[in-house]
Amino acid sequence: MIRLENVTKRYSTDVVALDGVSFDVPKGEFVFLVGPSGSGKSTLLRLINRQERPEEGSVFVAGRDIVDMPSNQIPQLRRNIGNVFQDYKLLLNKTVFENVAFALEVIGKPQHVISQQVPAVIDLVGLSGKEDRFPHQLSGGEQQRVSIARAFVNRPLILVADEPTGNLDPGTGEGIMRLLDRINGTGTTVVMATHDRRIVDAMRRRVVQLDRGVIVRDQERGVYQ
Amino acid sequence: MFRETGESIRRNPTLSVASVITAAVSLLIFGLTLIIQHGFDNLLSQWEGGVEMIVYVNSGAGEEQRLVIEDALGQQQGVTIEAWSYCDVACSLADADRLFAGDPVTRAQLTELNIPTQYKVVPLDATQVEILRGLRDRYLELPNVYSVQLAEEQLDLISKLQGFVSTYTTGLWIALMIAASLLIWNTIRTAMFARRREIEVMKLVGATDWFIRLPFMLEGLLQGVAGGAVASVAMWFINGRWTAGVETFPANSGMTALVVVDGYEWRVGLIVVLFGALIGTIGSGTAASKFLDV
Repeated sequence: MIRLENVTKRYSTDVVALDGVSFDVPKGEFVFLVGPSGSGKSTLLRLINRQERPEEGSVFVAGRDIVDMPSNQIPQLRRNIGNVFQDYKLLLNKTVFENVAFALEVIGKPQHVISQQVPAVIDLVGLSGKEDRFPHQLSGGEQQRVSIARAFVNRPLILVADEPTGNLDPGTGEGIMRLLDRINGTGTTVVMATHDRRIVDAMRRRVVQLDRGVIVRDQERGVYQ
Repeated sequence: MFRETGESIRRNPTLSVASVITAAVSLLIFGLTLIIQHGFDNLLSQWEGGVEMIVYVNSGAGEEQRLVIEDALGQQQGVTIEAWSYCDVACSLADADRLFAGDPVTRAQLTELNIPTQYKVVPLDATQVEILRGLRDRYLELPNVYSVQLAEEQLDLISKLQGFVSTYTTGLWIALMIAASLLIWNTIRTAMFARRREIEVMKLVGATDWFIRLPFMLEGLLQGVAGGAVASVAMWFINGRWTAGVETFPANSGMTALVVVDGYEWRVGLIVVLFGALIGTIGSGTAASKFLDV
């Protein structure tokens, strides 16, 4: 589903975010990216959804090299990739329903599809009954659930999550992980960057460890270390 | 899209109003320039096509009586005159409509029975003023010639005035249009900055650039159109006041043709609105493209 071949990303001549990184993520896999701040985790996620382009190497998503993808095809790529962020990136002037529906509206889905899919995904993330609340009326965990609902409402092939539990207490973080695990169970590939040792150790999924832009460990059913 | 546009305008009311006012002022001056030009065209309409001399014929002069004048003109054709044409009663009444547009009382006194018809003369060399003056003196002696008028007596002053007004008003409206377009550009830039979070989310969930741009472009378009509409109403009001004022001027003031009452003002109003739409679209379109990566 995702393949990186000798990917190098530099932000300047002396700031190398990724240095010759290669790895594969098969369809339906759950992968943790771990490593210290500045190790290149977020850059790697940004390469997958073409927010960044590498200086060298290739990035394949669903069998297609996206490095030289024309800009008019990038929206189509992103419709297959859900994004979850540490700071949720919710629209504060929109309700829960509107935030989730927004992801479908902007890609031109008809109203009847929106009114069918949005309540279903809000139910999936456990927020039924809170559709009309605004983000400031929700807890951090609930806001992250809305963010996940928005990322998943279009049933993407891939879900990339950049420290989704970073702002949450351990209990709430566990709830979010159960949700991501459930989404992964539907066949969606999940790539998640995290610093949360407890979660990684509890989930026992594949762990790719980065350090100064280089993969230093790639372990099936791994732990944080 | 309309909802997003409305939201954007609501978030930036002061800048939106400033854009509309600037667009309105520049478009008003643009519209007034066109109106003034049309007024001058009315004033000079009888001198169109290189006409430098008009021989006015007594009303009621028959065809045979006019033959004397035509013989005299014919003798000079190819010598000092390049061409001449006869402006009959209907043609002369149409000229009067333009010349006395601001003086309906005088115009009402001119009828098919009393209006002098005209011979419009194009000389071979318009710079030879002395030759034209000689011709005028000769034609004045012909029977049934009411008067002879040379363009140089009327044209110089009006042309200078027209050139002056045209140059400065054109310069002014161009400068103001650029200012209006830049202000709309800045308004859209600010609107995009205010909504950068939404734009970021839109991009991440797969919205196309055009989907993101269009509400902002529509916002700029609406500001331009609103400015154009305000300018049209103001122009219509000013033109009405000017026309009413000219009617009180003396008939020989030379200003009676300097009004626009032939429906041209409505066409200019439409042009002004279209120009408003254009500057709005240009300003917002360039901003929406340039600042998409907020």
